[in-house]
Amino acid sequence: MAPPVIAMLASPLGALVRAVARIRASVHVKLLAGFLLITGLFIAMTAVGLLLVRETARQTDLLDQAHERVSWSRQIEHALAMQMHFTSMALLAQSDGSVSLILRENNRFNDTLARLETAAPPEERALIQSIRGAQEDAMATVADIANALRDRRLADATTALHTRLEPTYQKIEALVGSLVAAEEARMASLRSSISAARTRSLRLMAGFAVAAVVVALAGGFVISWSFILPVREAHGFLSDVAEGRFGGTIVVPNRDEFGALAERMNWMSRELHRLDEEQRVAAETLRGLNERLALASRAKSEFLANMSHELRTPLNAILGFTEIMLDELYGEVPAGLREPLVDIQTNGRHLLRLINDVLDLSKIEAGRLELGVGEYSVQEIVDVVQSSLKSLAFEKGLAFNVSVPPEIPPASGDGRRLTQCLLNLAGNALKFTRQGRVDIDVELDDGWLTYRVTDTGIGIPAEEVENIFAEFRQVDTTITKEYGGTGLGLSITKRLVEMHGGRIGVQSELGKGSTFFFTVPLRADGGVA
Amino acid sequence: MKDRTVLHIEDNEYNRKIVRQLLSRTSLRLLEAVDGEEGLKVAQRELPDLILMDVQLPKLSGLDATRLLRADPRTANIPLVVVTSFALSGDDRRAMDAGASAYLAKPYSPRDLMALINRFLPEN
Repeated sequence: MAPPVIAMLASPLGALVRAVARIRASVHVKLLAGFLLITGLFIAMTAVGLLLVRETARQTDLLDQAHERVSWSRQIEHALAMQMHFTSMALLAQSDGSVSLILRENNRFNDTLARLETAAPPEERALIQSIRGAQEDAMATVADIANALRDRRLADATTALHTRLEPTYQKIEALVGSLVAAEEARMASLRSSISAARTRSLRLMAGFAVAAVVVALAGGFVISWSFILPVREAHGFLSDVAEGRFGGTIVVPNRDEFGALAERMNWMSRELHRLDEEQRVAAETLRGLNERLALASRAKSEFLANMSHELRTPLNAILGFTEIMLDELYGEVPAGLREPLVDIQTNGRHLLRLINDVLDLSKIEAGRLELGVGEYSVQEIVDVVQSSLKSLAFEKGLAFNVSVPPEIPPASGDGRRLTQCLLNLAGNALKFTRQGRVDIDVELDDGWLTYRVTDTGIGIPAEEVENIFAEFRQVDTTITKEYGGTGLGLSITKRLVEMHGGRIGVQSELGKGSTFFFTVPLRADGGVA
Repeated sequence: MKDRTVLHIEDNEYNRKIVRQLLSRTSLRLLEAVDGEEGLKVAQRELPDLILMDVQLPKLSGLDATRLLRADPRTANIPLVVVTSFALSGDDRRAMDAGASAYLAKPYSPRDLMALINRFLPEN
């Protein structure tokens, strides 16, 4: 927010913003009120202007009237002068021929005086009456002078002119002079009052305009910020929510749509907070369960590892005693006992294989099995497997051939584990093949070694191929009874191959035979656990 | 030539019995100990010609006993075979690291054990 806005919001204007926000009215009504306020100000300003113009016009009218009256007064003065002139002319010519001219001027005098009287303010009426009275006197004297002249009484006429008419005219002249002076004074005062009124109007207009602009701006600020403030609050609030800080509250003074919106947002925030808490609690519970599971799993593997030696010790005795009995260290074995002794040995060895498989798998699952990576010979692995299984192949009457290309260089990996893998695959092949052959061959292609075991055994149904490497799986449980085995060999082999960074696979046709193979890098570093 | 001595350190009676039976047919003299501490004492006292050491023993483990025997100059060069729990368990590596001359995974074939004894103590 810009600093001036912050300062303004901190001022009483800010309080007004919040007060407007608090007004329980819709945004529509508030905006309408704002526009009406500004429109009202314009109307008021126009009205004030019109009033001032009318006042000025009235003053101008008054000035015009005063001007006219002054002009009329001058005409009266002029008519009076003409009357005096014509009277003098009549005396000089010793004829009454000028009387008609004097009457004409008298009429003009009276007409103008009547007009002036109509227009004059009341205080001048008395003055005009006295002028009229004096004029009537003057006219009476003019009539006397005219009569005297007709009767050739020249001396009387001259006397009347000097003693009666001239003073009367002087009196009228003085009266008209004061009338003119009064009107001129009035005109001057009107002029100055008009000038003062004009200055006042200008000031009033300017003041009113400034006030209107200030009120309009303040109103605009108040109304717009009463809407902007909640929007800004909402913006910050939503940023918090977007960043995952739930449960915050948005506080806005508004009681309009923005207030309702804020209320909904607060509700949403509470809901989000509640869901977040629930999820957190659930996650915490799950974490706890997970830890307990991990602990239990570790305990299980430790138990199994300890059991390993405990199981092997009595098994060592069983197999050991059987062997030294069969080797006749205790003397000659009676013919009838040799077969049960061999049975004990066979079953003991089977038990050992089972124990080994279960322990292997539990170690792999606990992530405790480490590869002993080193140099090994592919040929040696195949040889070991062949020599371990050739007697079994021979007993079942199966052909059992191996082929390793001579050019394969020394490989890197856990030789004993890979031996175990190949032994598992070949052992299975021999187990599930009743007649025909089992072949082992190895291929090196672009740094990858493929060990392949092909048999002519019972094969695997297509729908079972996917499951064949899962734990405790054999194609069906009756097979376990007929062929023996734990069902763990393949899954252990798969894990060991994957730990080498390789993969295992099978191609099979039911009733025709299977080919199991695994591919590992020629130089495996055992980094894949 | 003086009879050569084999010290068998093993807590299981039956497994001791098998070795006893195997050696009864030979001229080798058999000494027995049932835990690591006793085995260590007997070895230091009798200085046998070959030691067969089980890996998991009461009181003192087979690997610790092996290390102590290797640290003792009197017994440092006596051939010592550790009977490990399981060839693939990693015990074999630990046995060799502790100073064993060879290892044999349990359960072992008595024939293999005899072959190993003959390797270290050839019968003329």
